[in-house]
Amino acid sequence: MAEKLYGYAGKILRVNLTTSKISVEPTDEALLKRYLGGTAYAARILWDRLPAGLDPLSPDNLFIVCTGPLTGTLIPCSGSVEFCFKSPLTGIFGETRAGGVFGPKVKFAGYDFIIVEGRAEKPVYLNIFDDEVEIRDASHIWGKTVHEATDIILDEIHNHNASVACIGPGGEKLVRYASIMVDYDRAAGRCGGGTVMGSKNLKAIAVDGDRDIVAADPDKFWETAMEGMKRVGKRRNTLGILGTIGGLAGLNEAGALPTKNFQTCYFEDAPKISGDELARKYLAKRRACFACPIGCGRYAGIPGGKYLTPLHEGSEYETAVMLGSEALVSDLEAIVRASYLCNTYGLDTISAGNVIAFAIEAFERGLITEEDTGGLKLRWGDPDVVLNLIDMIVQRRDIGDLLAEGVKRVAEKLNKDAADFACHGKGLEMPAHDSRGTGKSIAVQYAIGNPRGACHVHPSWTAMWDFSRNDMGLKEFGLPEPPKDRFQETGVNRGKAFKIIVSFGELAGILVICTQAIHGTAEENLNPTRLSALLSALTGWDITAKELLTVGERSYNLKRCFNVREGVSRKDDKLPRRQVEPLASGPTKGIKVENLEGMLDEVYEALGWDKKTGIPSREKLSELGLQDVAEIVWKKQP
Amino acid sequence: MAKALVADIDKCTGCRICELVCAYRHFKVMNPAKSRIHVVRMPHEPTDAPIFCIQCGLCIDACPFNALRRDLKTGAIIVDEDKCTGCGICVQVCPYGAATLNPDSKKSLICDLCGGDPECVKHCPENALLYVDVETAAAYKRRLTARLHRRHLSPYLPDVR
Repeated sequence: MAEKLYGYAGKILRVNLTTSKISVEPTDEALLKRYLGGTAYAARILWDRLPAGLDPLSPDNLFIVCTGPLTGTLIPCSGSVEFCFKSPLTGIFGETRAGGVFGPKVKFAGYDFIIVEGRAEKPVYLNIFDDEVEIRDASHIWGKTVHEATDIILDEIHNHNASVACIGPGGEKLVRYASIMVDYDRAAGRCGGGTVMGSKNLKAIAVDGDRDIVAADPDKFWETAMEGMKRVGKRRNTLGILGTIGGLAGLNEAGALPTKNFQTCYFEDAPKISGDELARKYLAKRRACFACPIGCGRYAGIPGGKYLTPLHEGSEYETAVMLGSEALVSDLEAIVRASYLCNTYGLDTISAGNVIAFAIEAFERGLITEEDTGGLKLRWGDPDVVLNLIDMIVQRRDIGDLLAEGVKRVAEKLNKDAADFACHGKGLEMPAHDSRGTGKSIAVQYAIGNPRGACHVHPSWTAMWDFSRNDMGLKEFGLPEPPKDRFQETGVNRGKAFKIIVSFGELAGILVICTQAIHGTAEENLNPTRLSALLSALTGWDITAKELLTVGERSYNLKRCFNVREGVSRKDDKLPRRQVEPLASGPTKGIKVENLEGMLDEVYEALGWDKKTGIPSREKLSELGLQDVAEIVWKKQP
Repeated sequence: MAKALVADIDKCTGCRICELVCAYRHFKVMNPAKSRIHVVRMPHEPTDAPIFCIQCGLCIDACPFNALRRDLKTGAIIVDEDKCTGCGICVQVCPYGAATLNPDSKKSLICDLCGGDPECVKHCPENALLYVDVETAAAYKRRLTARLHRRHLSPYLPDVR
């Protein structure tokens, strides 16, 4: 028996749905010391276990539920879970995060990870309570919405204290951007995690447990965690009161609100869909995830009228933009309804909104016709178009069948020009931040698209540096001053800033805590120094802040290598044409990305990546202890 | 004046920090199943409610082993762990579902008010938990009782799930 792993649960649950075999193995301590947990540990498993070129929808794909050392603990915002797999949307590394209480429950049940492989013959769900793990028939809930299925599962396992991660019809019908919905409304939306569950005939996982998480130094951990609670808790009065949607109006004023399928970054009707409007008219209360002193969740509904919507957690900023301004929809009631439908159908609101806005533009250009849509006229600013398309996508009806494949595949199918206004990176639909209006860090982040394509928060919101001018307590680790002009591209120490921020950002996914715990200002977040103090007291290992950042860097590079093995190289690190054309209106009118290649050169250099191929150099990989990985990614290279 | 623990449930966001803190201050572990306060989140309605022992004392009389007594200083029910056999009678009689058993030791878990300085109150980020003089507490309790007479929980009536 190995010595006790403080902070961790110490076990991994493996479930093979093909053979119905359930087994438990210890978490590998040596691997933990190099990767710490979460998405980094899972990336290593996926690197070791998945052959290159594997069809993500095949039974051989692995679906890994990840917790980290800090998940479920007393630190602020510890209620996170990450799901890792090869993405059916992008064909590269897939990771997607949700809040709620699912991650902590996995740990309280005694597991650091749950690894699901194979494919069940017919629909099933997992019911886990500590060591009792059962695979249950889900035939009767296949086809049900997330809200219906979650109700039924909690009822039939007789445990309303359990947490359920569930897919809706979106995942069942293999919509490539299907979400995994946790505790009804917390979404692990991106990369098609729900699609992978659907391909395995896995409707849901219900989990509860009553095991301890123990700190190596309980008093020190208490003290450090409570200091962190106070610190991050300061965000209650801003992010907590306003929600993520609270930022919408301000971003519009700054010319950074993606609108009309990214044609512009200014929406005249933004005040009508703002956080204030939501709070004033539709907010029933705020809801927080596990151990969160911020409480950014909006619990809202539409009490009557055409867009009658039951209470649910929404809408978030991303949702309001992607299903609102991107389609020029200014009716907040319709947006809240769309948010609810996506949640309960199990669709990613970001990808769905992006695809819908793209479809409307394609219709305008004559690339999609009424014949394709079953007579529906796809018009800008029509809320019913958005709501109808959500239904069509989830039922794969008419054009919905194609739109369910994601914007990259739709554009390929339509014609060559369609790619110009299909806004994605490596197949992942761009979210509600623009490469031009927001600041140029986001342009680089989307273009590199590591680890999961064009994403605004994985590994981090790098615009924190040049747009928000928030150093996140990273100055002591060498974060340079941001440029005075946020649109300046090269010669501003961009590479150095990017490297530090992504290494830090990876830590949220590795320790499996909410990104909001690290995204605050230096006065209100957990920076590497504080994370290292927490982790040392928790695990009893002596981990310095610098070592933590190295683990983040190792994770970032390993995931890049996973993607390189799938064929990604510098040629794929690009932006769609729309993102290098000037913005059409508003405060940022005329702004465009001028010199992406120049910025990439600087960033590759800082990351230690080969400028020609975009592959992490042998030297960098061996510095990070990834020699075996280097052997494989450099084998075919000159 | 004597004090009592009360909740202002409209403020609760359901973060469960109280559960973590309660278990940690008593057992130095992170495990909500060892908490003496439980947050109930109702799906489909705007309710997150911290449920805790109101120190009514029904369990004291019901305990067949005389393992429960009242702390005269705080009014809290105190479990004598040497006498407690884990029979579960206290859980059976508790009308609020507030009494539970420790999943490891099987001993009764009932709020002891932390000896007169409840940790959950100190760490609630929303100030939804209060430890106040009994007169103030009574006013809060009346509000909760009044709630029971309310006909509808919210204007969101139609079931369109």
